[in-house]
Amino acid sequence: MAEFIQYFPLALTSTNILTLILGVIGGLILGATPGLSPTMAVALLVPFTFHMNPTTGLVLLGAVYTSTVAGGAISAILINIPGAPANIATLLDGHPMAKQGKSQKALYMCFISSLVGGLFGMLVMVLFTPPMAKIALKFGPSEMFWVAIFGITVMAGLASGSIAKGLFGGMFGLLISTIGYSPILGVPRFVFHDVLIGGVAIVPALIGLFAIPQVFSLAEKLNFQIERPHYKPQKGILFKTFIDNLKMGKALGIGSVVGTIIGVIPGAGGQVSGLIAYDQIRKFSKNTQSFGKGNPEGVVAAESANNAMVGPSLIPLLTLSIPGSPTAAVLLGGLLIHGLFPGPDLFLNNVSITYAFIASLVLAQLAMCIFGLTMSRYSYMVMSVPNLYMIAAVTVLAVYGTYSVQNSFADVIVMFSLGTLMYIGNKFGFSAAPVVLGIILGPIAEDNFLKGKLIAETDMGVFAYFFSGSMNIIIILLCAASIGYSIYGEIKAIKKAKENLR
Amino acid sequence: MKKDLIIALILLGGSLALYASLSFMEEPAAASFPRVVIIIMGFLGLMVLIQTVTIKQKGERQVLQSDSVANPEKVPKDSGNVKKYPFGTVAGCFLLIVVYFVVMERLGFYLSAFLFFIAATFILGRKDLTLHKSIVRIGIAFIFTAVLFVLFNRLLVVQTPKGLLF
Repeated sequence: MAEFIQYFPLALTSTNILTLILGVIGGLILGATPGLSPTMAVALLVPFTFHMNPTTGLVLLGAVYTSTVAGGAISAILINIPGAPANIATLLDGHPMAKQGKSQKALYMCFISSLVGGLFGMLVMVLFTPPMAKIALKFGPSEMFWVAIFGITVMAGLASGSIAKGLFGGMFGLLISTIGYSPILGVPRFVFHDVLIGGVAIVPALIGLFAIPQVFSLAEKLNFQIERPHYKPQKGILFKTFIDNLKMGKALGIGSVVGTIIGVIPGAGGQVSGLIAYDQIRKFSKNTQSFGKGNPEGVVAAESANNAMVGPSLIPLLTLSIPGSPTAAVLLGGLLIHGLFPGPDLFLNNVSITYAFIASLVLAQLAMCIFGLTMSRYSYMVMSVPNLYMIAAVTVLAVYGTYSVQNSFADVIVMFSLGTLMYIGNKFGFSAAPVVLGIILGPIAEDNFLKGKLIAETDMGVFAYFFSGSMNIIIILLCAASIGYSIYGEIKAIKKAKENLR
Repeated sequence: MKKDLIIALILLGGSLALYASLSFMEEPAAASFPRVVIIIMGFLGLMVLIQTVTIKQKGERQVLQSDSVANPEKVPKDSGNVKKYPFGTVAGCFLLIVVYFVVMERLGFYLSAFLFFIAATFILGRKDLTLHKSIVRIGIAFIFTAVLFVLFNRLLVVQTPKGLLF
């Protein structure tokens, strides 16, 4: 906490504040735009940060990451389409409120609850991240290898209906990361064409895997008519809504605590936290029947939960390189391109950048509430941007973002090829997030695998080295639990589908 | 079912082909990590094949094709009710992007971006094209490219593919 206070002023420079404000406004707009996922928005922004100093770059990514979650609630409330998976629970009562002419109130409640939950989550993050980083300091090559594998198992289960396909995607990502020259022996691997000689860099992969499938999906939906926004301005209700919101202490408390707990668990993500908080407030409420029909408590619980999740979800990311969501995986890519390696290194060698980043996340929560409340009356305008313009704009930005990192046209070809392959993969139940994580964690996994192998061959043997030691066993059990939980979820979903067919 | 089977066989066959390609690597030690990864990929490909063969009902297959088990809203509805896949539009979009890349090498980033924006909005949105809409689309393409030029070329001073004019 002392370090957080010491480095807090670093986030307050005029450049960082201006970047933060632009990031928050951009994030709110991108989050509210149907058809643009927050993950893709952050992926497209990563190359922009490449030309900034690391602190300012991370402030921008953090601000967009924070505000897209809240921005996604706007489209959930107004047109019944969640801007991000985290906003699914918000639409259950938010959209009925909008239909009843209370859209302004629902939006105000959403941003005020997001601020309360978000600040609670940030407090937990500030308190728990440094001790967790100290634990990571004790990790050797075998533990780091298993941590990378754990990250992939978590993402594989989170982002795919079939754990086998999710894990296959993760392994495919690991394999892509080995393309190019071997880091230790310097021999070429899987260089089937000249464009692959430099390997697959993180940014082209991130952009290709997230942006190009989105471009084709937008093309698919060119003739798809979305619901007209249910927006009705209500003047002079901000103060009253603020008081009403604070009176809903139970919903705010449940949302904040549930979101924080779920956020710390790698892979659980905001989508689950919103739904669990919604379920809990429904159980604790005296007025159960009104849920789903426009009960403000449902919006408050869901929104405070999915924003409370933002800070804690970064604890495993910043200390162990395990992102809690696909967007956090992209954020990990953003850290790596600035030469910042999650783990103890962040808190020992890059302490000022790390704490300035954390401070900016706290400030982003405040800015998100202020600008969200201000912009909510104009937010319906975002919903009417035609897909045609988005296809053209996203493609051009994807090309710019990819080319600008290494000034290489080969990267653009790699980006587009990976994106097209991912679009086809999406049609068969494969998801981009495990592939991206495999590409990001691949070098960490391979480096530690080879280091561990060298140590093991002169000592106890490879198998004994990787499969003994309490920390190794714990992480392996976590990998098994993560896969087991996903298999359980898969079986449950299949059973449900069977029942629905009867 | 048939498509799923083909995908499972591609995963399995691809893993085998990649494993075979390891023998061409100059230094066998460089293949140790990819070998482990490819073996696991082969095993997972086999799992997908078994899943495809054992799960026959359409509803169950749709669960495995969704992007998340925790996200039932994203599980596709019965394919019988889904609109026909707009192959022509998606293929047109793909071709436009390929042409954009080819043209970009000659015309440079800004001019090709401007032309791509116009081509994409005119060709993909040709159904509801009117004179008014055409002017609006050209105007938006111009403003978009101008904003990019000011942002990248003047403010961020970033390298972009060079061409005829810029």
